[in-house]
Amino acid sequence: MEQPFSNEDLERRRAASRRLGWLIAAAALLLYLAGLFIKR
Amino acid sequence: MSSVTTTHPVEQHAEYHPGGLLRWLTTTNHKDIGTMYMTFALIMFFVGGIMILAVRAELFQPGLQLMKPEFFNQLIGVHALVMIFAALMPAATGFANWMIPLMIGAPDMALPRLNNWGFWLLPPAAFLLTLPFSLALLGFGDGAIATGWTFYAPLSVQGGWGVDFAILAVHILGISSIMGSINIIVTIFNMRAPGMTMMKLPLFAWGWLITAFLLIATLPVLAGAVTMLLTDRHFGTHFFDAAGGGDPILFQHLFWFFGHPEVYILLLPVWGLMPHVLSTFSRKPVYGYKAQVYSFIAIGILSVVVWAHHFFTAGMPIPALIYFMFSTMAISLPLAVLFFCWIATMWKGAMSFETPMLFAVGFIVLFGIAGLTGLILADVAADAQYHHSYFVVAHFHYALFAGGIMGVMTGVYYWLPKWTGHMYNETLGKLHFWLTVISFNLTFIPQFFLGLAGMPRRIPDYALQFAEFNAISTIGAFILGLSQLLFAWNVWACVRGGKKAESRSWEGAEGLEWELPSPPPHHTWEIQPQIK
Repeated sequence: MEQPFSNEDLERRRAASRRLGWLIAAAALLLYLAGLFIKR
Repeated sequence: MSSVTTTHPVEQHAEYHPGGLLRWLTTTNHKDIGTMYMTFALIMFFVGGIMILAVRAELFQPGLQLMKPEFFNQLIGVHALVMIFAALMPAATGFANWMIPLMIGAPDMALPRLNNWGFWLLPPAAFLLTLPFSLALLGFGDGAIATGWTFYAPLSVQGGWGVDFAILAVHILGISSIMGSINIIVTIFNMRAPGMTMMKLPLFAWGWLITAFLLIATLPVLAGAVTMLLTDRHFGTHFFDAAGGGDPILFQHLFWFFGHPEVYILLLPVWGLMPHVLSTFSRKPVYGYKAQVYSFIAIGILSVVVWAHHFFTAGMPIPALIYFMFSTMAISLPLAVLFFCWIATMWKGAMSFETPMLFAVGFIVLFGIAGLTGLILADVAADAQYHHSYFVVAHFHYALFAGGIMGVMTGVYYWLPKWTGHMYNETLGKLHFWLTVISFNLTFIPQFFLGLAGMPRRIPDYALQFAEFNAISTIGAFILGLSQLLFAWNVWACVRGGKKAESRSWEGAEGLEWELPSPPPHHTWEIQPQIK
């Protein structure tokens, strides 16, 4: 059965992607900032 | 791996697309952006290649013939930065953009605008990296970064403004790569066609998924390190200045925490691609799918805990030496699993040797040499002799040219008919392969012997005893460089025309991407494919 990606389905997937994207970006930023305070 | 039960309707979409430059500036289509990444990578491959041919020309004979040592050092550093950040990484990202949505049945990348932005950060960053060369020619400044690609302190703290340009460029390149990685991760997690579970995901997508996580984990550390370098240079901090209570070795730790995973960042997409090519031209299913997935994950994890083997000679406690030696050697176990699976995929297959298969087999043999020589360098006792010698240069070119660049060429020849709708010139492709393999070995086998004999890297002049091997290496390098023009010509001719490619361009090809017409329409998988 051929079924198109519905607009609702695509929007749901993209919204989930945006949330996860911001989360990963925040983790990367945190890692960067933590690195600036590293001491040996 | 997955198989498909329904096919995509062969229809062209008659939607509005801006033409000319505006199309490329504003596009959010994954195929357009993939094409831009690949084109940019090819251009920068030649830019980086010309730089190193100038270096090899200088090294053709002992003595200083063509350039001052300062300029020689700049060429070496920028060659590496260009090849890694502006050629290999964009090429792999180009593959990801073009192929991941097609392979997982997604209509596009999950975040198309981010995709556009990620690409358009690259050209200004590459411009910044190479700009100091031009400024020096006009009499401004003292040229580009001359520290090698490693930015080691204290040399980089004392260097000219080329270091600042490179620091800025690396920040921008890093942001671009993080954007690309975020997009790839969320696309794989959220945009797969119904029924495509993670363990049905194409191995190319798996390879890229691990790559993307490695980029997210390590690029911020590199960015942090070079930011600290910038503040040491201009804002009075002393992170890496021993006289001010800092520690130059700290920079080496931070740099290689990024630098070693970077090797796998460059290689994992290629390792993911290889099973597809080997399976296609052996007309057999991929051997050991799960074993390869688990090996990718194991290599990804191990790659972030072995960084200090790059500077054993800087001095560290014996337990640390032993730990970093054995953890490095442990990477050879999952890597051996991959080699076994690649060979087992070909075993008793109905093999044929079209250009992508030639490059894939060449990759396995030559990359094997990279792995074996890497084991020698991982040995603490042996490394003291080989460190900073031409042995290291030869080793990492077997990894990054034979493993990385030849892997990219495998992918280009494999997917070019899909991208362009035309078959490339097979005779020219085979000629390109043989010239590349022969000249590559002619260039780098002598460098193993030079290293074993004690020739240090990054020097423009050398003792007479090294003259013959250097002359052979330079001749090989020029043949290698010139033979890449065949590649560029073949790609260009294929884009312009040629024999029509079928949807399934290769007889043994399996996967969703081969269900689509060649070239695929501007928008694909608006109808969900059904995965068995």
